[in-house]
Amino acid sequence: MKRRGLSIRKRRERDGYIFVLPWMLGCLFFFAGPLVQSFRLSFSKLTKVAGFQMEWAGFENYMKAFVYDVTFIPMFLEVVRNMFVNTPLIVIFSLFIAILINKNIRFRWLFRVVFFFPVLLGTGYVMQELLGYQVDQQTMEVARGILLPQEMLQYFGPRISQIVQLFLDRLTIILWKSGVQILLFLAGLQGISSSLYEAARCDSATEWEMFWKITLPMISPVILLNIIYTIIDSFTDAENPIIDFIYNTAFVVTQFEYAAAIGWIYFIFIFIILGIVFALMKRYIYHTGR
Amino acid sequence: MAKSAIALEGKTGRRISLKKMSHFGYWLNMLYRIFVYALLLDLIFVFLYPFLYMFVTSFMTDADLVDTTVKWVPRAFHYQNYIIAFKYMNTLLGLRNSLIQTGLSVLGHILSCSFIAYGLARYKFPGRNIMFVIVLFSFIIPAQTIIVPLYMNYSRMGWMNSILPLIVPTFFGFGLRGGLFVFIFRQFYMGIPNELEEAALIDGCGSFRTYLRIILPISRTSILVSAVLAMVWHWNDYFEPAVYITKPLQFPLPKMLPGMYAQMKLVKEAFVRDPITGQLYPKILNEAVVMAGTVIVILPLLLAYLLLQRYFMQGIERTGIVE
Repeated sequence: MKRRGLSIRKRRERDGYIFVLPWMLGCLFFFAGPLVQSFRLSFSKLTKVAGFQMEWAGFENYMKAFVYDVTFIPMFLEVVRNMFVNTPLIVIFSLFIAILINKNIRFRWLFRVVFFFPVLLGTGYVMQELLGYQVDQQTMEVARGILLPQEMLQYFGPRISQIVQLFLDRLTIILWKSGVQILLFLAGLQGISSSLYEAARCDSATEWEMFWKITLPMISPVILLNIIYTIIDSFTDAENPIIDFIYNTAFVVTQFEYAAAIGWIYFIFIFIILGIVFALMKRYIYHTGR
Repeated sequence: MAKSAIALEGKTGRRISLKKMSHFGYWLNMLYRIFVYALLLDLIFVFLYPFLYMFVTSFMTDADLVDTTVKWVPRAFHYQNYIIAFKYMNTLLGLRNSLIQTGLSVLGHILSCSFIAYGLARYKFPGRNIMFVIVLFSFIIPAQTIIVPLYMNYSRMGWMNSILPLIVPTFFGFGLRGGLFVFIFRQFYMGIPNELEEAALIDGCGSFRTYLRIILPISRTSILVSAVLAMVWHWNDYFEPAVYITKPLQFPLPKMLPGMYAQMKLVKEAFVRDPITGQLYPKILNEAVVMAGTVIVILPLLLAYLLLQRYFMQGIERTGIVE
């Protein structure tokens, strides 16, 4: 008896491809295609801007970025430095806040609503206006006043208070940027079954021990996800000078090929950083067998 | 001997505290509690501050702004600032543009990303892992890297100065942070039991019907999360709209904000010329008006979030979104 048509497995495969078809089309037009074009563009020079005609120029654009353009490298370093400083702080704080929201404290409902507010501000025009009026520093001044009086800081000496000052200055921005991370951590915390905690309590574990032995290992995949997300977020942030630079280079000065080269340098660098982070963190991810 | 308080918080939220302690332990605990609550108050304050500031400042008059004693409560509710901001920001037009652009984008994301993620999660076909890696890449690679060819392509196709470049990619799983939504949906779909689909198959559902009738209705959490995130990001997006849309009549609402200054320049009475330096000083554009403008820009987003917030958080706290 001959079977007509496809086998079940083949049919499933075909259906799978149908589901993914829109993505494949989109990838071609909106992602892979432009990516290849951008790659080619970064190695060429535009002869006529109106008709987008190109000619091969080798590494000229890349050389320009590293050797000739004085402004690129310092900007780049600043972006990288910001990323290195902000990322651990954001991840740690958002974990802290997520755990806080997860527990039964009195004003929990308020927290749940409010923590996402800064995300609503976005990083676009509104945020720029607010930062222009230095709202972030004002926040810190008042918040600092509530928690840590100025006098106490001065008591500790200039060195320590300087470090604390630096830290607190950044703190507002960091908390404002933590919205999505808090969300991800909250979702991750849901995945930890409470029976683990109950068993630990039976064995008289303290909150501290429970955090280190249960919470932290169980959400380690989410920690990695958050680190990666935060790195990407900081690199595509609106106040990022490089982003502005690319925009200006491409559309104000219309040096398209240079902008493409810078975009690629940027991307390769992000890629390397993410690769390193991933490789480093892989050891610490505790995999709950599925 | 003195023991410190052990406060157990059960899942029900009741506090069962066993207090067998001396006075010292009691006060230490009180101090700890005060410290924690002060910290929480601080946090809430940091989160709320920009909104409070925006809201309060927007009602101030010129005199109030300069007056250093006035910080939190303006002398009177000078709502005229809102009228000024409303007029010069071309609010109705900007609002319309923003609503259309954001609404369609969110729709595109929800439809396409769930569709694609379902295929990636539940169907085994060669290449699916590579595709997922490329999806992640699409999230990692910043738009700036590919903006130039995109700009070239779109202008060749005549899509400039329309919302098409912003909306069409979202219907294919791309667009602003599209890769993240595919990721969210995929993680969710990987967690649903096989029995659901098998039951649907037995009842005669094909793949598409299974997706439409069974999978989509249970994905409420992921849909809500993706919708809220997409809404916030698209509303506040400033990079791609700035590249593709240059005609002021089609600006989204946030872009009208810096445009206020330019708009005011067209109106004579809005400026005074300093007799000495000859420079123009805005007479009615001050910080309060700018803040009123930002409140207007944020308000729709804020309302939408407050409305959705409960379901949003409930969904996350019940099912989570990531495995």
